[in-house]
Order: sequence, then C-alpha cells, then structure tokens
Amino acid sequence: MKKVSMRVKKQPLLKAASVGCVVAALAACSPASDAPAAAKPTAQAAAGFEPAPAAVPRLTPAQYRATVADIFGPTIDLGGRFEPDMRIDGLLAIGSSGVGVTSAGMEQYDAMADAIAAQVVDKKNRAMLIPCKPASDKAPDDACAKAFLSNVGRLLFRRPMTNPEVTAYVGAAHAAGTKLNNFYDGLAMSLSAMLSSPQFLFRAPQVTKVANGQGVLDGYSKASQLSFFLWNAGPDVQLLNAAQKGELDTPKGLERQVERMMASHRVEAGVRAFFSDMFHFEDFEALRKDNLIYPMFSRREAMDAQEQTLRTLVDLLITNRADYRDIFTTKKTFLTSSLGAIYRVPVVNDRPNGAIDPWQTFEFAPEDPRGGILSHASFSALHSPANRSSATIRGKAIREVFLCQKVPAPPGNVDFTLVNDTTVYKTARARLTAHSKEPMCAGCHKITDPMGLALENFDGSGAYRTEENGEPIDASGTLDGKKFNNSYELGLALHDNTSATACLVDRLSSYALGRKPAKGETPWVEKLKADFAAGGYVVPDLMKRIATSPEFYRTVPPAATQTASAE
Amino acid sequence: MKGGLECYTHLYKYWYISTGLRLPRGTPVIGQGGEAGCRVEGVIVEARTLRWILGAGVAGVSLFIQAASANALESRSYVVSYFSQQLNSRDGDCPGGVNPDDQAGQYAVILQGLGYKPDEVKAMMAEWAKGGDGEDRINAIVNARAIIDGQQVNAYTHPEATKDPGLKFVTSKVGYGFNLDGKDGEVSFTDPQTGEKGVDNMLSRAIGCNQNFRGSWDAPSAYGEWIWVQLKDSQPAWLITITGEDIDKDGPVTIRLTRALEYLKSNLDGSPRHFMTYRIDPDPRSHNEFKAEIKDGELKITEHKPLSLLWNALSSPVLNLKNTHLRLKMLKGDTLDGLVGGYQPWTEIYFAFSHNGIVGDRPGLYYAMKKAADADPDPKTGMNMSISTAYRLTAVPAFVVESPHLRYQSAEVK
Amino acid sequence: MTKLQNRRNILKGMIGGTAVTVGLPFLDVFLNANGTAIAQTGAALPTVFGTWLQYLGFNPGRWIPDRAGKGYNNNIELKVFDPFKERMNIVSGANYFLDGRPVETHRTGAQIATLGGIPTGRDSGPSVDSIIADSIGTRTRFRSIEVSLMGDRRSYSKRAGAAVNPSEPSPDALYKRIFGPEFQDPNAGEFTPDAKVVAKRSVLSAVADQRHAIMGQLGASDRARLDEYFTSVRQIENQLAMKLEKPAPLPACHVPGAKQEAQPGEEVAQVSTNTKLFADLLANAVACGQTRVFNVFMDAQGARKPGSTNGWHGYTHEEPIDEKLGYQKEVTWFILWANQVCAEFLTTLQNQKEGAGSVLDRTLILWQTDHGYARTHTMDNLPVITIGNAGGRFKTGMHIPFSGDPATRMGLTVMQGFGVSMSTWGSLSNQTQKPVTEILA
Repeated sequence: MKKVSMRVKKQPLLKAASVGCVVAALAACSPASDAPAAAKPTAQAAAGFEPAPAAVPRLTPAQYRATVADIFGPTIDLGGRFEPDMRIDGLLAIGSSGVGVTSAGMEQYDAMADAIAAQVVDKKNRAMLIPCKPASDKAPDDACAKAFLSNVGRLLFRRPMTNPEVTAYVGAAHAAGTKLNNFYDGLAMSLSAMLSSPQFLFRAPQVTKVANGQGVLDGYSKASQLSFFLWNAGPDVQLLNAAQKGELDTPKGLERQVERMMASHRVEAGVRAFFSDMFHFEDFEALRKDNLIYPMFSRREAMDAQEQTLRTLVDLLITNRADYRDIFTTKKTFLTSSLGAIYRVPVVNDRPNGAIDPWQTFEFAPEDPRGGILSHASFSALHSPANRSSATIRGKAIREVFLCQKVPAPPGNVDFTLVNDTTVYKTARARLTAHSKEPMCAGCHKITDPMGLALENFDGSGAYRTEENGEPIDASGTLDGKKFNNSYELGLALHDNTSATACLVDRLSSYALGRKPAKGETPWVEKLKADFAAGGYVVPDLMKRIATSPEFYRTVPPAATQTASAE
Repeated sequence: MKGGLECYTHLYKYWYISTGLRLPRGTPVIGQGGEAGCRVEGVIVEARTLRWILGAGVAGVSLFIQAASANALESRSYVVSYFSQQLNSRDGDCPGGVNPDDQAGQYAVILQGLGYKPDEVKAMMAEWAKGGDGEDRINAIVNARAIIDGQQVNAYTHPEATKDPGLKFVTSKVGYGFNLDGKDGEVSFTDPQTGEKGVDNMLSRAIGCNQNFRGSWDAPSAYGEWIWVQLKDSQPAWLITITGEDIDKDGPVTIRLTRALEYLKSNLDGSPRHFMTYRIDPDPRSHNEFKAEIKDGELKITEHKPLSLLWNALSSPVLNLKNTHLRLKMLKGDTLDGLVGGYQPWTEIYFAFSHNGIVGDRPGLYYAMKKAADADPDPKTGMNMSISTAYRLTAVPAFVVESPHLRYQSAEVK
Repeated sequence: MTKLQNRRNILKGMIGGTAVTVGLPFLDVFLNANGTAIAQTGAALPTVFGTWLQYLGFNPGRWIPDRAGKGYNNNIELKVFDPFKERMNIVSGANYFLDGRPVETHRTGAQIATLGGIPTGRDSGPSVDSIIADSIGTRTRFRSIEVSLMGDRRSYSKRAGAAVNPSEPSPDALYKRIFGPEFQDPNAGEFTPDAKVVAKRSVLSAVADQRHAIMGQLGASDRARLDEYFTSVRQIENQLAMKLEKPAPLPACHVPGAKQEAQPGEEVAQVSTNTKLFADLLANAVACGQTRVFNVFMDAQGARKPGSTNGWHGYTHEEPIDEKLGYQKEVTWFILWANQVCAEFLTTLQNQKEGAGSVLDRTLILWQTDHGYARTHTMDNLPVITIGNAGGRFKTGMHIPFSGDPATRMGLTVMQGFGVSMSTWGSLSNQTQKPVTEILA
C-alpha cells in the first residue's frame, strides 16, 4: 500500500542503484558488449524531425485501477464498470485518444468515485490514508482537508494542484462537510469529485518552451507520458518529484528515472498492457467456443491461454532479454493443467504441502513441431470461429497483428457454402483452394491463406491434430519467397521477415505516444528501427530508447483551429 | 549443469512424451532447465506414465530406473469415468414383482410385517400421507421396528433386529459378470456379451428387483447414475495404466489400478475431460497390478488376485474384491469400457446401502444379500461372507504421474 | 397549477434539507402518459427487485429455448411463461462450481445461487437480494420482505454473518405486518430531501469552474471530446436535482382487503392458494412504497397431491423414467405445476396497475434453482431466468446460452443493473467479473 507522503524524499538509494548498475554493467545491465551507445542520453533530435500535436488519452480501465491501487492501496474495491475501449489504427491506446465520456459512462465513473471515496474515509482505512485528524469529526476542517486533498490531488492530477483548484476542492469539502455535519463525509465528496474530474480521467499535456510553433512537454506531462508507457500507471511520487525539480528536462535526469522504472517489477505491467493491446487480447472477453465440438475450451481456458502467452512474452523478452523475433520460435512456455488437456501434455501441480501453483513452466521437445507464439492457443483459438479453425482469419491476423500489413475486408456477399462443405473438400486447404479459384477472391486470399494454412494443425481450440476428416493436413507454403513445411518453419520465416520487427517498433512507438506518429516524426521512428536491429532486437532496450529520446517529448501546442488527424 | 536423482525429481515435471504424436520408443530426448539448472539425457520408454530411462551421468537411482531391455515398453494411462454395479434388468425377471421403490410402499410392507392388518395398514398410510403429526407418528412406529432386549435400536445399523421383509430375487438367466468358481449352476448367468456360462453375479440377483438398481448396459440404473454424479466431482479418481510392448497389438501387458489425489476433472457439460494430469496417491492400499492380455481389442487380466481401492464414505470406504476378473474393450478415441468383478464382502456393500434412502428397504437388502452370498464361509458359522458381483467401468485418456515429492506415512502409532 | 408553483418555491427555499410539509392529493395526473414517470419531474417510479428460488429444476431437453438471442420460442416446460416472453431472459448452460467440495444436495446449489459461493461455516457474505436492498431498500419501510410458499420459515436471504432473514409462511400474518395498525399512508408523509444529495450538488457546483479549465489546454478536436464529458456531467446534475423534488405520490396504493388464507403447508392446492395471496400482498406493498425488494422461497421438495403418498422430491429419485415418454411423469407434473404457480404470481403483479403500467413493469425477478436435473443432482446445464425489465434498466426477450459459465454471472449483472457498485462477485470458480452485457441497458 502506497503511503501518501508529505515530504519530498531524498534519493540516496537511487544514486547507489545507478552506481551499482554501472559496476555490474558488463554482466547484467547491458548484455551485449558490442551494443551501440544508443542509450546515451542526448538532447539532439533526429535530422528532419518535426513534432506533432500531443494526444489526450482517456484513462483505460487498467490504468484507472492501477492509480487507485497505487494511491489508496489494493484493498479498495472499484465497483462499477468501464466503457469499452476503441481500437484505432491497430491499437486501443490510439483509440483512447479519440473517445469522450458518454452519460452512461459518466454514471459509472461517478458511482465508482463515490464508492472509492467512501472506502478511503471509512473508519478502518482513514488512519492509514488520511495523514491528519480534524479538530472535530462532525464539522469541516479546512487545514486537514487541504493537506489531504492537495497531496492526493497531486497524484490524481499527475501534477501539483493550482491554487484555485485547491481552493475549489477544499471549499467543496467544507460545504459538504457543513451540510452533512461530518468532516469525513464532506472530504469523501470532494475526493469523489476529483476522481470523476476530467483532470484525472484525461491526460491533457502541458506544452512549454514554445518557439517557432514547436515546444516540449512540461516536466509533469513528461512524467505522465513516461509512466503510462513503462508501467501503465500514473507517475509515482519519485517521478513527480523528479519532474518538480526539473530533472526530467535534462537527459541525465531523464535517463536515471527511465532506468529506475525499467528495473522495477512494475515494468511487467506495462509490457503486458502493450502486448495485450497489440495482440488484440481484449477479444478474449467475447470469445466463445461450441462446447459440443470443443468441450475442453471454456472461458477459463480462454483466460489461461491469454495468460500463457503474456507470461511467455515477459519471460522471454524482459526477463531473458531475448531477441524479439524469438517469439515466433520459442519452445518454452507456461501451462496450467486445463491448458495441458488442450495441448495433450501432462502438467503437474506438485508443490510440497499441497500448495497450489497452477502455472508450471513447460518446454516442448525439439522434435515437437509446436513452438512459438503461433502455436499458442491464444493465437489459434482467438482467431477462429466457434466451431472450426480458420486459415483465412489466422492469416489475416498474422498480417495485421505481427506484420502491420492491412488486409482488405471481404465483400459483403461472400458465399460460404464451399468453405463449409466437408464431404467433398475434406481439409481446409482443399476448401479454400476451391473458393479461391474465383479470381475476385484469389487476390486477398493469396495474402492470408498460405500462412493460415500452415496453422491448420491447430484446431479451433488450439489442440494439435495431424488430419482433418480423415485426410492428412498439409501445412506447407511460402511467405515472401521463404518456404516452410509446418507452423514451426512458418515461425522461422516470420523470424527472418523484416516487417515483423519494423511492425513492433511502429506499434510500440504509437502505443507510447497514444497516437500514430505524424509524417514529420518518421525520422525518429526510422532511427528506432535501425537501433533496434543493430542492438539485437532487445525489447527493453527499445523501450528505453523511446523513453529517453528527446523526440518522444517534442510536440506542438494545441491550436484553436486544430483538426482531427486524418484516418 | 547437474545430473543425478536430484535433477530427476526437479525435472520430471518438465518432461513429457506427447502421445498424440506417437513418438517412437528409443527416441533420444534431452531435458534441461528446471529450478536446479539440470540437464538429463535419456530415451523415451513409456508414453503416458512419466518414467523413463536415465542415461549416462546419473547414478544411484535404482528406484526409478526401468531395466533397459531390448524390448522397451509403452504405456498408456486413463482415469475412470464411471463405476457402478452392472445389471441386466429385463421385463419379467422379477416374477414376484419389483419391490416397492417408494418409501410409502416400503412402509406398508414393514407395517404388515409388524403385524398390522391390511385395512389398518391402509388407514395408517393415509395418515402418513397427510404429513405433520400423523406422518411423525407412523415414522416413529416404523423406526421402532428394531428391538433388541426390549430397547429400540436403529434399524439400519442393526438390520437383524428387524423382520426380514422377504425381498424378491431376480430369476432370469442372462446377466453380466464372470465365472468366478469355474462351475455352472442354477443361479449362474450366461453373459450376453461373452456368452460365458456359469457367470456368478449374486449381488445382481439380490438387488435387481429393487427399482433404483435396475439398469442395462446402455441405461445406467437410477442409483448408479445418482451416486456417480453426486461424488465424481469430489472423490479422488481411480487411475488405470496399461504397460506393454505395443498396446495397439495383441499380446501380454500389465495393468495397474491406483487411486489419484485429484478428483475426476470434467468439462463444463459434466462429461469427463480427456488428458488431464493426475498424481498417484502413494497410499499402498490403492496399488494393484495384474498381468493381462490384449486380444482383438479387448484387455483381460490373466491373474485373479485381490483388488483393493480406497473409495468414498457414501459408497464404501474400500472396494475389496477377491478372485478379481477384469475385461476392458479398448475403443476408438482411446477410451476403455468394460467390467470388473469378483467376490466382495457383502457387509461392506451393506454399509454403503445402509445410509442411503434411495436404495429401497435397507434391512431388507441386508437379508437379501445375506441369503445370496456365495463365497468365503465363516469358519464358525458357515455363513458366506462374500458375494459375487460385477461392476461396469469406463475410462478416458489421462496423464498419470508418480510424484517423488509424496511419501506415504502410515498412521500407526509406533 | 398554482398550487404546484407554490410547492416548488417552498422547496427551493428549504434547500438546507429541513422537512417540507405539503400534503398532495392522490392524482393520476402526476404520472406521465405511460404511468412510468412523474410528469413534472421526469423521475421514474422506483425500481423493484425480487427473487424466486424454486427447487428441483426442470427436465433436460424440455426447457431450453429453440435458439439463442432474441425471438426465441419456449420449450414445453416453460410454455406457461409465453405471455411474459418479451420481458424474460432465459440463461441455459450455467454451472455451479464445487472446486472439489462434496455437493450437499439441494443446499449447495441454493448457496451458490444466492451467496455466490459455498460458505465454509455458518457465516457467509450477504445474499444477492441483501446487496441490492442495501442499495435501493434503505428508504422504504421494509428493507426487504421474505415469503415462503411451502409453509416453512426458511430462506436464503441474509446479510453478512450467520443470521438468515426468515420467510413468512402465512399470508394472514404478512397482511397484518404490512397493512396492520403500523401502516402509514405514504402519500401523506413528510419529505426530507436527502442531505447527501444536497451536499453533492454543492460540491459539483464548487468545482465546476476548475474542471472546465482543462479546455484551455486542448485543441479543437479534443475539446469536442471533452464537450461530451461535460454534457454527461450535466446529466448527473439533473438527476441530482430531480432527487431533491418530493417523490411522486403513489396513486396505485390502496390498502387491500384481507382474504382467507389456506392452511400454510405442502399440498399443491394450499400452495397455489397462498401464493396468489402473497402475490396480491406483495404487489400492494410495492405499490404503496412499503418495500422495493422481496424474496419468494419455493422449496417444493415436499409438495404433494392430495391422497398421494409421495412428494415431488421422492418422485425425482423413486419414479422410473417412462419408457414411452422419456421422462418421469409425476415429476414433470410438479414441474409444470410449479411454473404455473410462478406464472400466476407474475400475472398478479402485472394486474396491479400504476397509471397505464403495472408493478411488474418496474420489477425484475431473478429466478434460480438448486440443481439442473434433480434426479441425479447435477450442478451443470442450469437455468437462470430474469422476469421483468425494472423500468427499462435491463434489456429482455433473449435466450442466452452460458456454455458452462458460472451462474453467478447473472447475479452480478442484476446487481450492477440495480446500481450496486460492484465489479466482481462470487468465490473460487464461481467468481466472475463478467456481467451479461447483452441485457444491461
């Protein structure tokens, strides 16, 4: 539980950490001794770089929850529900910058705010969360209200409150406290108003040092952008203090904070949030399988499948700092026993004393054709309809999710009878080949099916099979000229495909900005791609480069005549 | 990187052999990783029980090594997905009529047995049907029917203190089971599946005229279904492992029947889930191994030793069979379906029935089984203490694991 | 009309929350054309939540509707509910999860349905209805009313802890309790505006300017998004303003005459008679603003037909399945009878008119059971039914296959729909964070 601190902390620990990091640099901090000096902090933007207006994202449900847990502790129950997110340009993070708040959504925010505030002032929490006591419980106390609200406000608004703001919220607590003859009820009402205010729900950046129509995010806006990128949460006290002291405005100060945040276990939440977004994992919410055909696949397995892939990614890319491209080939993963039933492998819960540890590490044998993220149920089951596999949907997903390539939508009048005829065309390959004989259809299917058919060994639930309707499955094909005979070899082909790594950089930079980079920002993205390749495709290094690059914080001030970015 | 027993115990859970892929025996495999940073090499020995030969570099693990014979073995494991008495109820197999299945019918018989005249009984049952005080009064009379030395006792725990209601027996000659004594006789059956004569299944004669026990191969009895559905999600599951050179071919095999620590895992529609993983309970009371033979897709055990499996409190604490016989058809989709039978102590069966209102007149069943019992005469009284029986058993594919972490500790006080 | 203007002025002058004493006549004119809202203020009649816990489920294959989604057709055993089809949602394929615990027949299912999980002792959390009553039942005379149709006092309505809210088995006794000497005319009461609402309004107005200051940091397109936000805030402010108006009179409220009850018991005729009386009493209690939550407990395991020696539960285990019909005849008779009893209960609520609408129009009833198939005590393939849309707070007319999801999803959905701030409900495998969004309006 995070105590709401009144004092500005001294940071000796941080200094020692950086020293320790330098000393251990050869072993742990930068594994590749020939890694380029890309992490060197610099104030120079890439040549030809032109900044663009900053995004104003609305807090996502995960970010809202993280903020409440950070400030008030994990025992606070949110209640309520959130409006669905919107996906724009391939990311929910970009969609967050396009949504407002509907009245139904506002009702929920209001109800949640009331519920949270009530718990904060509750007898069992107030001693921990409110650092002062009022002169009387039954009447307002402006001094104590000011102490509490200005501190919490700084964390909620992600910057110090302005004096008029403090006056307004303390005044609100006073008015309510008077009417209710209760200090805590009045305080809760003001806190609730904070929690449903736009200053909390929206991340509106402040631009400074404007010259020639260009500027830079101010320290607090930098802190927000950085913190939501790396930790998917609001800036913590240390980061706010660094912003306050102007440390984020210097390359060294910025780098110090970035390193602190990258070394923290909280970066896992940020990584999970990013990959969940990039891989469309929110679709798991609505995923339904026909239980007559796939009795082993229920909502629990859907959630487990998602978690399997996220654990695999975190372990591979963050803990082990592996090459990003290894996601297409890695044999090591994590399983529960229900996933074991789908993959047909034993998964034993075998801690002594009967303690339950449902997640076990698992490694597919070298001769097992399974391996890589495409063999995970999170891919094959997510990208299939309820009752069968789908090479086309999976091929489309590979193009759009992993390669950032657009596949045109199918025409409205597609005739599916051929695709569903399993008597004549026993395998999906046979059916799709027949369907694609139509010249109108062949064009798009050529883009999707060859890859999707390589995954036909995985049925709609992610289970491995070698035949369909009695006929052996042929999982061979080509990708951009590279031949493969099965899904693992498709993984190898994707491993070597340059679009895959470029796509990751595009997605990550867009995710971090909350918008697609504008044309003028391309030089920055190109530099990120070059450094990513030169450095061995290590994702934490890419994250650090983005977070420490000056371009990340350059922007233009909002104009009255600013129009919405073109779709 | 280390090897050795320590590594084995860390690593076994990271290893597997995927039966869906049918990797051939003798395929070299390498396992590495695990908490202790181990690396072990070996060859695939068994498919679905996690035991394997450990290669060079591992010492002193005789507990877990399987002798590397020229004929390396394959094994497949299953979890039991249904178990209940198997009857072959047919119209007309109870010439005296089916025994009253409902409580009211049983009570009427009991009251007559206590000496009440028919019209008295009718009036009392009408009173009972009204509920309330009348029902309580009749219940009290029925419950007081067991008297020892002038004291009322619980009729269900002291069945011999009640009057034998003379439940009817099944008289038909066609029924499922095994010929346990090698003889044919008046009360034997002919098995409709195997055609075997002299089949001994006296339990089915004793209980088969009670409605809730009546069932057939395709239609489970009300009792069987009821008790299985009630317990399958909580009682520890039973496990089967078949080991042999090539289980897809005819030939000799061994079959192990053990008990799991986990309960049977089901799909969301209640059907048994395939390919879940179960750990063998190290308790030695549930470890059984029989030599068997596979012929024409059916497995039959060739030695008829006793069988013992811990069960549950509602059925019986232990399933004890002597002169065990077992036959299992190995079906498409790799499931098992068959029969296990033998001589079972009938008082242990009564224990299960005694606290179960669904079975019918419970003391009546006690008397019925006592009459029908056909083995193990008590040396003093000469009364047969075991009864021949046959249970239907089905099983679905599973992974079965022996865990070196688990040690069995006897509860004996030393 | 002049009288009304004076009332408004008086109320405005007393915004500090002191009592307002203005008596108003019973006049239908205060309802809008549909009888669903109060003409001047636009505030809707208060929503009502009910539960119906009916034991012994249905026969497999005879109750699941023919298709998923809207426009389903009822199967045989639910045909009696056809008049209410558009206002019902039927869930099939729900599960009660045991997590390895042995099933206490007829008890565990009811526990999971009402409490969200299997308690490990006598203490447990609050039941669904109790959670909703904490949200909507704090300003009525009775927080909730529990009745039992079978003549006993059992119920599953409880607050956190060990004590259960006992059911009333006698319509006579319930009549005296509600409409006896302590009954007060709801239309003659004094109105005290909720001080919390007054306080909240003052808070929102105090911070409005500072909230609006964000616009200065935004470009045109982002300002448009925040415009939507501020419009939504104004909606909330309007709702608060409405809460400060005196609640509408209840023109549909009248004290019912006492009727002869049958002896509370388990014979089907007694149960049918008394259920009708309970329905009438509850409808009037709601119309008179006495409660907004009621619970109906129908553990009809002992239900019997006159002269019969066996009851419903006995038949579920003792009656053989009829070879020609494919189901147990007597058991099925009882299923159809129980559903008929429920349908008649709903009809009574529907006949309690309020303007052009009825009590049923502003009610949602959550129907649950203890086992999917009573004969073998299954805990899967369960039905969960909602009847009524609580004044439009829920969408209805759908068959929703759960495909094995925990039944608690519906409990969570219903709680959220009634405004409870709750994002997760239930324990262990019965825990869910997924409401049935298809039915939340």
